This record gives sequence, C-alpha cells and structure tokens, in this order.
Amino acid sequence: MRDLKPRKDLLDIEGLELPEIEYVLSNAVPFKQLFQRSVKKVPTLRGKTVLNLFYEPSTRTSSSFEVAANRMSADVTNFTVSSSSVVKGESLLDTIETLQAMRSDYIVIRHQAAGVPDIVAKHTGASVINAGDGYHAHPTQALLDAMTFREVCPDYQGRKMVIVGDVLHSRVARSTSTLFHKLGIEVGVLGPGTLIPAGRHEFIRRFRSWDEVFDWKPDAVYLLRVQLERQEGMFFPSIAEYHKMYGMNTERLVRMRQIGAYLMHPGPVNRGVEITDEAMRYERSLISTQVENGIAVRMAVLHWLKPETDTD
Amino acid sequence: MSESGDNVREAILSPEEISAGVADLARQIAYRCAGDEVAFVGIYTRGVTLASRVAEALKGQGLHYPLGTLDISLYRDDFDNRGSDLPTLESSDIPFGLDGIRVILFDEVIFTGRTIRAALDGLMDYGRPAKIELAVLVDRGHREIPIQPDYVAKRIGTTRDQYVKVRFREDDGGEEGVFLETPRKVPAA
Amino acid sequence: MPSATLRLFQNGRIASADSKELVAADLLVDGTGTIVAVGTGLTVPVGAEVIDCAGSVLVPGMFDVHVHAREPGQEHKETLATCSAAALRGGVTGVVLMPDTSPPVDTGNLVKSARDLIAELSAIPMLQSGCLTKGREGKEMAGFSGMASRGVPMLTDADRAVPCPDLLRRCMEYARDFDLLVTSHCDTPALTKAGAINEGRVSYRFGLPGIPAISQEIAIDRDIRVAQHTGAKLHLQQISTERGLQSVRCAKEAGTLVTCEVSPHHLVLTEQDIRDYNTHFKFNPPLRPLADVEALVAGFIDGSIEVLACDHAPHTEFEKSSEFGTAPFGAAGLETTVPLMFDRFIRKGVFGWDLLIERYSAAPRRLVGLAPVAIAEGARAEFFVFDPEGETPVTRETMKTKSPVSPFLGETLAGKVRGTALGAAWHPQG
Repeated sequence: MRDLKPRKDLLDIEGLELPEIEYVLSNAVPFKQLFQRSVKKVPTLRGKTVLNLFYEPSTRTSSSFEVAANRMSADVTNFTVSSSSVVKGESLLDTIETLQAMRSDYIVIRHQAAGVPDIVAKHTGASVINAGDGYHAHPTQALLDAMTFREVCPDYQGRKMVIVGDVLHSRVARSTSTLFHKLGIEVGVLGPGTLIPAGRHEFIRRFRSWDEVFDWKPDAVYLLRVQLERQEGMFFPSIAEYHKMYGMNTERLVRMRQIGAYLMHPGPVNRGVEITDEAMRYERSLISTQVENGIAVRMAVLHWLKPETDTD
Repeated sequence: MSESGDNVREAILSPEEISAGVADLARQIAYRCAGDEVAFVGIYTRGVTLASRVAEALKGQGLHYPLGTLDISLYRDDFDNRGSDLPTLESSDIPFGLDGIRVILFDEVIFTGRTIRAALDGLMDYGRPAKIELAVLVDRGHREIPIQPDYVAKRIGTTRDQYVKVRFREDDGGEEGVFLETPRKVPAA
Repeated sequence: MPSATLRLFQNGRIASADSKELVAADLLVDGTGTIVAVGTGLTVPVGAEVIDCAGSVLVPGMFDVHVHAREPGQEHKETLATCSAAALRGGVTGVVLMPDTSPPVDTGNLVKSARDLIAELSAIPMLQSGCLTKGREGKEMAGFSGMASRGVPMLTDADRAVPCPDLLRRCMEYARDFDLLVTSHCDTPALTKAGAINEGRVSYRFGLPGIPAISQEIAIDRDIRVAQHTGAKLHLQQISTERGLQSVRCAKEAGTLVTCEVSPHHLVLTEQDIRDYNTHFKFNPPLRPLADVEALVAGFIDGSIEVLACDHAPHTEFEKSSEFGTAPFGAAGLETTVPLMFDRFIRKGVFGWDLLIERYSAAPRRLVGLAPVAIAEGARAEFFVFDPEGETPVTRETMKTKSPVSPFLGETLAGKVRGTALGAAWHPQG
C-alpha cells in the first residue's frame, strides 16, 4: 500500500490513522491462512530479534507474541520482571540503556504503569509494541478484537457491541472501544456506576441493565475480566452480586441466542464471576478465535512496524 | 515511442502478440507435460493472470490444470529496504496438495531471479513437488542468481537500468501490452 | 557582590504596587545598601558604578511563601546556596522555607539550626516555617511555643494535610494563642490515593489514576470551617479549582481570617498541556481544566487570591525520569515565575506590574508580618532590574537551581531579570 507513513512503534489506538488500521487488519488475513499449512513459518524476520519485556505476568499475551515472532523466523528473548521497575537506584532510563545494548529490533512491553512504552519508544531505535500499560492501552488486543468481529460481521459498519464490566480500569475496554468507534461500530457499556467512566467517552452509550442491552440488540457482547485483586469492596459489594447483576448466565444466554449475539472475552476468564461454565460452551463464543487471531494480528504488526535499527 | 514520467516508453509486445505468447506457452506446456499430473501456481499479481490465461487456453485442448496463487512478500530478501511503499499482503491460495506433482510457477517477467528464489522458498513450505518449472512471458536477462525459465514466450535484450512493464487488462484498468521504459539520459554537460 | 561603592541605576522606570504608572527615575544606592536618592537626571557621583537601566523596569524584590530548599537532608535535589541563586535570577529577594527537610523542622531547636544554616549559606533572607504535627506525621501536635519563640512565620505540614479533623482543630486552637498562621496543603488523602493527574477526560485518556477536584475542595471547606470554629488565622496553599475559590470567597464574605495563594503553573497551564507522559507537568494539586484556570486568573486579578507563590519543589532529573505514576510531584519555579508572569500576562496587558508586585511582593510579606518593600528614598535597596526586551531561556544550562526540572523547559520566556539589588549587594544575572 502506497503512501502509508512508516511507523516505528505501536503505542495506542488513538494515534492510528484509518488506512493504517485497514492495512494491519487486511494483512492479518494472509498471516492467519499460514496457520493452515503444515509449515506455519515464513522467513520474513530472519535474523531479527524480538525482546518480550513483561513487567507484569501475562502468559497469554507474551506467548502470543512469542508464537507470532517465531512464525516469522525472528529470534525471541523473553524477559519477565516480577518486581516493579522502581527498584531503588535504577531508573527506567537505566533499564532502557541496558535494553539498547541488547540491540533488539522489536521490544514488546507490558508494564503496570501507564506511559512506560511511550518513554521506552522515545529512547530506543527498536520498534516498541505496547502489550498493555496500566489502565492506558492494549492496542494489539483491540486489533485482534476488530479482526474477530469483522470475520463474523463482514458488513461491520453500523453494527453494535456492548462491553460489560470494569470499563474504568480496563485498558482493553479503552483501546477496543476507541478502535471500534474509528471503524464505525457502535459501542455501549454495561457495568456498575463505580466502574463506568462517566462522561469521558461521549460516543459510548451506557446501559444500566441487561434488559436495556438486549433491547438494543447488539451483534456482540464483550465481557471484561473482573480484576478480583482490585476488589476491596470499594466498587461493588461482592463477587456474588457482580455475577448476579452483570455475569453471563443461563437466562442471559437464552436472550443472546434469541438475538444471535456473539460472545467475546479477552481472557483469561473467571468462571463463575463474569461467565458461567455453560456460557463458555456457547456456540457463538468467539473466545478461542480471538486467541488465534491474536497471533495473526501480532504477525501483521511485526511485519508493519519499521525499526530504526536497520543498517541500510 | 512515448514518454511516461521521466522515462522513454516503447511498446515491445502488442495485445495480439501477448495473446500469441500465451498460446505459445500453452503449446510448449501441453507438449512437454503430456501425461503428467500438473498444477499451475501464479505469483501475485500478474503471474496469477498469466497462469490463468494459459490454463484457459489449455482447457480448449481438454487439459484441466488446477491453479494456485502465491504471494511472495513474506519471502523477499529486501524486507529491510521497504520504504513508504508497504507491501499489502495477498492470500496465497494453493487448494491442492503439491506432494509428488509437477508444478509450473508463473511470473510475467524474469529479471534478476530473486523473485523466483523467494517463490521457490514459499512454494516448498506448502509441500514437496516432484518437479518445479518456471514459465514467463518475457525474459529480459540480467540474472543475479542461477535460475532459468523453462518456458519463455519472448526473450528481449535490455540494459540493466531499463524497466520492462507488463500490463494486463485484468490488473491494469484495461491497459494491455508490454513496454520497455528507458530512463531519460541527462545530457552530458 | 557586596562593595562599599555608590551605585547609580540610571534611566530606569520604577514600578510599585500602588500605581499602574511606571515612574522614570535614576536611583542612587550607597555603600550601606540604602537608597539615598531617587529622581531624574541625577548627577553621577565621583567613583560611582553606573548601571544603565534605559528601557528597563525597576521592580521591588519578590517574596515567595512556598519554597522547598531541601537542605538539610536532601542536598542532592537543592541546597540553600543553589536555591538562593535561583531566587536572585528570578528577582525574588525573600522566601519562606517549608519545614519538610530531613529531619522535618518541628521544634524550636530545629528552627534555630535552620536559621543558622540559612545565615551561613543563603544569599537572600529566608524565613523558616515549622511543622504543625511532629515529624509531619499527622498524629501529634509539634512544639509550637518553642518554634514561635524562634520566630516561625507559619506552621504547616508542607504537602501533607492533617488527616484528622480533631487534631487540626486542636492545632488551630493552640496556634491561635501564639498568633501563629496555620497554612494548609488542601488535600483529602483518602480521595487522592495514588492519583497522578486531574481526574477527568485526560486521566482517562492517559490511563493514569486521577486526583478528583473534590479531594482539594473538601479539604478547603473543612479547613475553613475549622478555622471559623477556632478563630485561627488560616492560609490555604495552591488553590486550583473554581469551586475551591468560591469556598474561599464565601468564607471571606463571612469575615473568616483566611487568605490563599495560587501557583504560577496553575495560572498558565491546563491538564491539556500534559503530553507524552512528561513528568515535569506532574504537580499536586494537579493541573486542571481550562475553566478552572480561567477562574483562577479572574480571582488573582480581583483579589480573591491575594498571594502568588511558586511552590519551588525541585526533584532531580533522575527522580523525575521514572514512570509518570510514580514520579514525585513538583518542579523548580523560583527563577521562572517573574518572566512567566511577564510573558503570559503583563506583556499582553492582562494585568500590570502593580498587580504582580501586590500579589508576589507586598501581600506575601504582609502575610508573614513583614513590611512590604518599596523603591523610595531612605529605603533599603531590595529590587530587581527587568528588561522587557530581553529573553529568559529556560534550559538545563541556564537554570541556577540544582534540579533543572520545569514544565517550561525548552521555552524562551519574554523579558529578563538583568540583576537583583539586595542591600549593598548587586547580583547581575548573565
């Protein structure tokens, strides 16, 4: 595609132009087709190195990036830091200097503090891919969600999705709703008033009950993971009450079937909290498709970004 | 002779000559592949068109060869040099097994041979054919690696800095022909 | 540098808090630091040093009631020497030091040792304030009488609110007997939590934990009510929202002994100015939306806010280079405040030198019981020479503070402090 500005980093969704989004999403399709071959690997990134830098444990996301990089023949180094980077004496910039010395071409970074990928990107020639920072952004999750939604709704413009749960503290909700809005998909949210950012996203409609949601007839329902560790009785009274009010249960599954809605979830799920065992087996669940598309989208992102470490 | 941008453009094959070339390729293939299990694989974009035209021509002779497509972007050796011209990937589609069959790869022009090298790598990730051959509309010379076509419709002599542009009406908004473009020489001071 | 010579400041224009007009005059300062003559066309005495002030404004020295000099205990951030050098570059000739040093200044003896250090190391007069509670821990009252006898101008827990309203009430009741000013950092820690920037659209976009406006507003309301109840004199630091300002106005109308200050960054920056997770824009109270900033400017002009104070809070570049969420709050402000006020307001005619002198020189001195300084015959020399045509680059290299951390870094502000006269000393600024 001509006249797309080369991009070094993928930090958030807000900064992306529509043609760039289309470019990545359309390239992800041929990448996904590679998975059908007996040889799933292509030599595109032979000799390149990808550093998976995770300050927050996340086996799923880091494995997804690792598989994506491996399938493009890149060398992958996994680097998981369990403690905070704010170890006395070493600043973020010191860490970046260490990373520079490793001469990675791509740095995939997950950090509990918002903005860290931005800072790393500014100080390194490597392409930085934000794999989730604080409450801020998780752009590859948003892209894989869009790819998944568009596979089942090819005429996606004007279609509708409802995000359910802790929208306030969710980088997934933030990035996915922003991307869906850019693509012309309507987004609504359902959740307790304590976890819905009031008036901060004018384009998002807010629902107060599942009845309102089903009356709106969304094409997909996106359940967010309830962060059990964030629960201190501050945002809702109990897990049981959350499940009762907002969880996907048998009765709501009947309504889902009636309107033919798809079910999405960024994983990993809390069974019995935001979703029941039965709902996990829902025939229109896209949860495992999301995992597969995650690899394809991440390959397309690695293929798209242009590190400034090239020696040409 | 006409001008296209800063290049001097010269038609070297007319639409009729292209049709004759396609027929010629079909003839050569039918003759040499008689009795074998054969499949065609076209390299995006115009190799696909060439392969389907040749396959169409052979249908008239009762020969039905399956047709696959191959995008070699992911196999190129110049990935680092991509500029603002980002490659849009196409879906490679090879809806048949390659193991043990005779595969004919199609591209519109052979030049340095690097594209074919990438295509061979890509093709072999789909299976292990008994034999792989190469068919091209135009061989313009200047090989950089030891790869040669097996079926050629037209050989033309060129200088290294010239461009050979194949235009197929399916891919190029109705335009049809093969053109030789020569960069305009800046007169010596 | 101190010298025994006469100094003639020639062809300047004198600004004052009382008049919008600048008065053209020469100024003669003698070897004792006294202004001995003011008038046009003064003859140059034999041997006098002549300082050409043509085109420049002579402005009474500023006084900043909210300064963290970091010494003793955190000399890696700032020292009394670098702090006073920064003040002189900014035309500031007196400050009140916050007590949040290591150890915190919470006894008379510590006030005494702070005053000794100041006398030894600072190039300008500095008043040392004392803590409200022991160790700034918000648990027990600090030793007010000892600190009062050592002349503290105010009591404050500096950047920390007293969390328990009962303790705050007792502090105010006790301070009233010593006629001590209680100064509040207005904040409700249970609401602020780990917040990093103003809670709202911007914090949501950045994915950073927010500090809600009510965190400051509730604290303002609480402290005003406690002051009304106890009859103590209350000063509120760094008002940052329109609602908070309204509370202050209401309290004043009700006759409460309350004053408040605003910081320069809250007058010129909004939360929208925060870009790229730049921690130099991280303040507590945080930068607010435009509507609040406009209300603060209006309150600054109409006198609802009587004091400008910069909250000079240097942290090293290293400390500021961490993630936005964990980086410390605050930046250096002493040397940028006057040029910033000139660049953003005076130059554009929003207000004049008279208002700035009132808010940043006269009112802050009155707040701590000092007489305002004026440029007049018989007065001690305490003024700076400001060139409106000059420029103040804000760069790591030009800043005198030990920690060149500022949201204005990289900017060139209009106007320049050419030099500051303090008694017999003249401190030219390069």
